[in-house]
Amino acid sequence: MPKLNLFLSRKIKSLLEKRKSREALEALVLISVVTCLNVVFGYFAAVFAFYLSFFKWDYIGPMEFVGLKNFMVIFKDLWRGISGAYFFQAPFYTGLKNILLYTAIVVPTQTVLAMILAAFANQKIKGVQFYKVSYFLPAVTSPVIIALIFIWLFMKQGFINYMLQFVAPGFAPDWINDKNYLLYAIALVAIWGTSGHFMVSFLAAMQSIPRDIYEAAMLEGAGPIRRFIYITVPMLKPMIVYVVVLGLIGALQMFDLAWVMAGSNGGPGGAGYTMALDIYNEAFINLRPGVAAAKSIFLFALIFSTTYVFQKKYKVMVR
Amino acid sequence: MKYSKALEKTTSLIIALILIIAIIAAAWFATRPTAPPTTTVVEKVYIRFAGWSAGETEMKNYEKIIKMFEEKYPNIAVKYEVITQMFHENILASFGAGVAPDVFYLDSAWAPIFAEKGALYPISDIVGQDFINQFYDFLLEPFRGPDGKIYGLPKDWSMLMLFYNKKLFEQAGLTKPPDTWEELEEYAKIIADKTGKPGLAIYLRGFNRYMPVALSYGAPKPWFDDPGDASWFDDSAVKKTMEWYINLYLKGKIEREKQGLTPYVVAPQDVGAGWLGDAFGKQEVAMVISGNWMIPFLADQFPDFKFGEDWDIAPVPKGPEKRVTMAYTVALAINAKTENPDAAAKFVEFILGPEGQKELVVKMGHTLPSIKGLENDPNMWPQHKKSLSFKYDTVQIFLWGPKSGELEGKISDIMASAMRGEISIDEALNAMKQTVEEIFKGG
Repeated sequence: MPKLNLFLSRKIKSLLEKRKSREALEALVLISVVTCLNVVFGYFAAVFAFYLSFFKWDYIGPMEFVGLKNFMVIFKDLWRGISGAYFFQAPFYTGLKNILLYTAIVVPTQTVLAMILAAFANQKIKGVQFYKVSYFLPAVTSPVIIALIFIWLFMKQGFINYMLQFVAPGFAPDWINDKNYLLYAIALVAIWGTSGHFMVSFLAAMQSIPRDIYEAAMLEGAGPIRRFIYITVPMLKPMIVYVVVLGLIGALQMFDLAWVMAGSNGGPGGAGYTMALDIYNEAFINLRPGVAAAKSIFLFALIFSTTYVFQKKYKVMVR
Repeated sequence: MKYSKALEKTTSLIIALILIIAIIAAAWFATRPTAPPTTTVVEKVYIRFAGWSAGETEMKNYEKIIKMFEEKYPNIAVKYEVITQMFHENILASFGAGVAPDVFYLDSAWAPIFAEKGALYPISDIVGQDFINQFYDFLLEPFRGPDGKIYGLPKDWSMLMLFYNKKLFEQAGLTKPPDTWEELEEYAKIIADKTGKPGLAIYLRGFNRYMPVALSYGAPKPWFDDPGDASWFDDSAVKKTMEWYINLYLKGKIEREKQGLTPYVVAPQDVGAGWLGDAFGKQEVAMVISGNWMIPFLADQFPDFKFGEDWDIAPVPKGPEKRVTMAYTVALAINAKTENPDAAAKFVEFILGPEGQKELVVKMGHTLPSIKGLENDPNMWPQHKKSLSFKYDTVQIFLWGPKSGELEGKISDIMASAMRGEISIDEALNAMKQTVEEIFKGG
């Protein structure tokens, strides 16, 4: 009997091992496809861009090593911008300035708005499903389509100005064609387009907050606003960090909305010009892919350092 | 137990299948020839032909003509690749990756850069001189290399002309289209005052649209490939005409609106239009200067707005020195690295010869044929025919040197900024000079 037992346990063990190695193989096979794609289109592209930033190239001829010359182009541009050159003489500076302002508007607004929307969607009220769907709808619509619709809404005689006359009579800016309003118009579209998406993240986080904390607070006499400020918001901290980080990444590399609403040259006064547009123009209009690569490394450094500092400061694990 | 065994079996099968597919795919990628095969087994040569598309009709016409070509040359097969968006960016990237097509469209503004980098096959080495002589000579200019060889043959072309709304002219009491630049501005004012509609629409960004004005006032031919060429902007005719052109909008739109009057010059977006053709078709403005491409657009989008009755065309106004128009052309070019230059050249000859152009250009009515002798073809649209009858002293091709695209964009940005009143005209001229100097200083 013990012999049989031993035999059986060995058999089971070997079977288990076999199974384990097989599982590992299965996992490898399944992962390999995505990994390959990621290596080719992600890591290789990134490494190549880094390599390219030290070269002068025109796509057709051979590459020529130029050291840090491409980065010098950036710093010259920035210096010129700081010294007060026109927007078209310092395009990278213009793009940087615009995108920082845009990010400062979009990220806080979309985060707060998403949180408020989630708080509403989390209530047990009639038709809540309808609200959830309508908030989320922009997230599943192409940004280009959204931008095109908004161009129409933002026209001088458009719907937005029509509505504005009831709220602020006499205030009817030419949103798209006025350099003082263009960036705000783009920011407004971005906020509208992304808040719904982040609402879902907040909603999921809110639903995982234990009910008993709220119940205890209610027993202590805390009203809904206090409960939101003192329970919901602190409990959502990891999700806020997550949303802000993703928001920062998205906002700093904004391209599509600017491309459609302002055009590749950034529209009037370069007000809608972004760093991503400048990288594109450098690569395909000025035919300097090396400089474009250097600029994208600058953008990467900007995104990396902002998100790193933010995460470090709030010291929360972000998944 | 049975169930889990079956599951295991299925999983193994799936894994095996994935592995097999992966191996086959890997093997295919590894053994795939970098260029299309010129295999002798079937004795058939393959060439890849890339172009953009002006719509489904054009695509179908190309497919039809490719079929005719393949019937005539059964040993050559053509793979037609339509790149609908960002064509030149795509072609550049394909050169970078070493997979550029054998034959492709090439805009005149991009030609020098492609030729200079050795990306183009000298077509004149294969195609006979008789064939080349059929083309309008000025259209070959952008594709002629420094060695005198031809690196691309124009597939069609368009030129600028004045489009005017006959009804609005009538309302304003005008009996003929303007003949000079002064008359253009004067008529625009009269129309705005009498009809309440702006007389003229122009683009704020459009160095090439300004060019006929400068040249007709005696400005030297624009060519920029050296920092010293920035002096073009010091020419008195350039300064004078640039001031006039920028003022068209400053005075005609911005100042007029300040005075509470109807602007006599607008940009398309000021009247809720996407481009000049749209503004003219919607009858929001009385005049625009645009190209042949506007003709099929008007016929298609505004069928009730009729040529001859409601609108007509006239030559671009003249200056004190001469009458000048702009021409825009696109060529078919052959990749310098093609493995089948002869087959590619045969294809180019077929498409661009009289038969091909009758089908693809004349009947389509989008643009003008690039070879002589088709002006009186019965299928030629009357509007295009009329545009060909206009007499010009100079037809300036859209080409400012090896960096035409970059220059056009940057100078146009400066023009737009000055037209909106953000910078003064003098500042604009200085900035233009500086732009040219910087582009060619290298760096």
